[in-house]
Amino acid sequence: MVDIVFIVLALFAIFGGLGMILFAQPIYCALSLIVCLVALGGIFALLSAPFLFMVQIILYAGAIITLLLFIIMFLNIKDVNLPDEPNKVTTIFVGAALLIPFNILILKAFSTLPNKPMHILGKDFGSIHSFGIELFRGWLVPFELISILLLAALVGAVVYARKGSVDG
Amino acid sequence: MNNFLLAWIVLIPLLSSMTLGLMYLFSIKVIKIPNIVFTVLGLSSPFLSFMIGFSFFLQMIGNHEIFLYKAYRWLSVDGYDIDMGFMADKLSIFMVLFITFVGGLIHIYASGYMKTDKGYGKFFFYFNLFLASMLLLVLADSPIIMFIGWEGVGVCSYFLISYYYEDTKNVQAGNKAFIANRVGDLGFIIAMITMIYYVGSNGFDYINLEAGMQNVPINVLTFIGSALFVGAIGKSAQIPLFVWLPDAMAGPTPVSALIHAATMVTAGVYMVARFHFLYDLIPNVGLIIAYVGAFSALFAAIIATKQTDIKKILAYSTMSQLGYMFIAVGLGGYSVGIFHVFTHAFFKALLFMGAGAVIVALHHEQNIFKMGGMRSKTPIVYFAMLIATLAITGIPPFAGFFSKDEILLTAFSSGEYLIWGIGVLTAILTAYYMFRLLFVVFHGKNYQESRKLHTISKSMIMPLIVLAFGSIVAGFIGIPEILGGNNLVGSWLNDWKNSSLHVEHSREFILMGINILAAVIGTYVAYKKFFNYDMAIVPKYNGIIWKKFYIDEIYDRFIVKKVKEVSIFISYKVDVNFIDMIVMGLSRGFIKSGHFISKVQNANTRFYAFFMLVGISVISTYLIMVMR
Amino acid sequence: MADSLLSYIALAMILFSIGFLGVISRKNIFIVYMSIELMLNAINLIFISLGRYYETMVPQVMAMIIIAIAAAEAAVFLSLIVVLYRRKKSLDSDIFTVLSQKDAHE
Repeated sequence: MVDIVFIVLALFAIFGGLGMILFAQPIYCALSLIVCLVALGGIFALLSAPFLFMVQIILYAGAIITLLLFIIMFLNIKDVNLPDEPNKVTTIFVGAALLIPFNILILKAFSTLPNKPMHILGKDFGSIHSFGIELFRGWLVPFELISILLLAALVGAVVYARKGSVDG
Repeated sequence: MNNFLLAWIVLIPLLSSMTLGLMYLFSIKVIKIPNIVFTVLGLSSPFLSFMIGFSFFLQMIGNHEIFLYKAYRWLSVDGYDIDMGFMADKLSIFMVLFITFVGGLIHIYASGYMKTDKGYGKFFFYFNLFLASMLLLVLADSPIIMFIGWEGVGVCSYFLISYYYEDTKNVQAGNKAFIANRVGDLGFIIAMITMIYYVGSNGFDYINLEAGMQNVPINVLTFIGSALFVGAIGKSAQIPLFVWLPDAMAGPTPVSALIHAATMVTAGVYMVARFHFLYDLIPNVGLIIAYVGAFSALFAAIIATKQTDIKKILAYSTMSQLGYMFIAVGLGGYSVGIFHVFTHAFFKALLFMGAGAVIVALHHEQNIFKMGGMRSKTPIVYFAMLIATLAITGIPPFAGFFSKDEILLTAFSSGEYLIWGIGVLTAILTAYYMFRLLFVVFHGKNYQESRKLHTISKSMIMPLIVLAFGSIVAGFIGIPEILGGNNLVGSWLNDWKNSSLHVEHSREFILMGINILAAVIGTYVAYKKFFNYDMAIVPKYNGIIWKKFYIDEIYDRFIVKKVKEVSIFISYKVDVNFIDMIVMGLSRGFIKSGHFISKVQNANTRFYAFFMLVGISVISTYLIMVMR
Repeated sequence: MADSLLSYIALAMILFSIGFLGVISRKNIFIVYMSIELMLNAINLIFISLGRYYETMVPQVMAMIIIAIAAAEAAVFLSLIVVLYRRKKSLDSDIFTVLSQKDAHE
């Protein structure tokens, strides 16, 4: 049962990803990516990370990609504004061929790890409670730093997007 | 115990020359330094060296001590250790004494001669450096250190011969001297390399070489000896590398005196004497040396009879006298050869100084047929020149008689009658051309009596007197036994190298008589032809002798021109079409490939990422292959 | 299959490769951005599956931090895209070469 769920989610993720790099219109690409990310969120859930599953759907699919879609629509991109991509398919095939050794290497490296059953663990693992304890006990300083980073990004985005300063 | 003083014999002139050089630069760039400072500094160093040399001389009397001083390790390459070492044995200290003494007198003379020259300080810089190089050559304890001095002498001679560098001819003369010397140096270097190869493994100073020479095959020794002699030929201006010596007269007269009397040309003779242990093993090469010397002596004497330039005559006479020295050292009479070097230093320095005084007095006139009648005007110079001429001619009891007599005695007693004959013939010619010079310059009728003479300064006259005295007495230290003397030079140098001769006394007297007779014949012929010579008829010379046997032209035609052609070929054909093509092709290739590679850096991020991917792929493939 | 670490890693690598291919093959700056997001997610997947494998929470925290940084990145990146699009009227990532020194050389 879990296997089937995994395979379905994996297929969704892969096809979502492929759709993202193959579609010409960015809007389709973004929608494919949402499919991919939601499927990935499901896989997170399979890996006993319910909190991250939540975050993935709310933050990624819900916030970031929606923001992206909003921007795409806001810019109102027409076909003429899209760049020509004559070598797209060729590059994908050549790149794929070149990536094969890298993938083999990584998989080979991981295959040396001893095999271990990966069934879903109890509620405690990956729940908001345990995650929060882990985050605020061991990772408080990085957490605070991230908040500063987000603030900086916010300010930066505002500065960039201000119309007057850019055009001037 | 005081052996470190040996180094100071060389160091004093060297430091003094460096100081002079810096002071001269300071003088021309910043503030003019008065000449007296240069004079004091430049003149003090040869005499200080002389004092130190004399102290060693005193320590050596009556014993067989050899002073060695190793200053520091100069080079250490793969087992070959070369020390900056100094060695003083009886031969080298003897050389040091007269080099510094005669050299010092020439320095005094130069201070008068060069008084008005604007490069006064520079001149003494060269002079002291010349002296330092010569002293290093003499005091070296190994051929390599000797070679430093050898090259130093060569380069200083180049500086000094082309001293009046504004005139291209002088510079060419300097080049000629330098290049001819380089040919000889090649021989020296080859000999040195061969020696290092065969006997250099345990030390390379003379003492070790002498010990090691015994085990070297005879044909190798012959090769080394011949190659060394090529070096000596170059330095001492023998056939066939003598061409630079007459041209070297382009330099100021004190330079000629220094080159011909105390330094430089005697280096070749000294070297052969220094390598006596080598030449003793290969008498055949010695014989060749003697023959080269004999023919050079005759050849130079023949040329000298027809020259009109006072300095050129003296230059050829130097070559001729050097020939005598090589006869002696070639036949194994090393002490005899060195004795002649010694006496020659005195009278040749005197001749050059006298000639220089005459030249200065006559406002740089060098043609003897435009002089004449100088006896009454410059009596001191006349007497000095007379003494020197008598000495070089070999009239007893002047210095040259004793040494020349011994050389011819050596030749005769060795059974080389041809060399002896050539020697006697040369003696006649020597007497002839020297008295020709003397009679024409000092006795000839002069039609320019009214001409005002340039004053000759005291500092030029004083050394003349000292050397004239020296030319009289220098021979007395080598009076042969049959004349009641005890041959001090011979016995001094005998400790260093035994080369005594055994000749019947009656025969020795006969030979002596023949020598005197030869000198008198030459003098008489010169007297008949040139005494009270009438300057109205300036003789026009032509013919093969006047043209110096066309040697210069032959060299020019067959060597210089060919070398030039090859050089032109290389410079215009090989260089342009081949070397430049490679070099420029390389640089153009770099530029082109640079342009090509710079296309890679095209600011296209995707392109960079693609290449990153290629790199990742290659590294991954490699790691997969490695990680089993 | 779902209880083998290797299958998760394989999935992560496939997604990462797809992201990489997107970066190198697409000119559209939006898609380049989305490809980068996909690669980040692939790495997240590796983290989380390893956390499950070793039964520790630390990788999940890591993944959380990565997501936060991705959010910050999204804000800056998208505002940049807006600025660039306003200037060049194009989404071609190849023409955004102002920061290179290419022009200085030629």
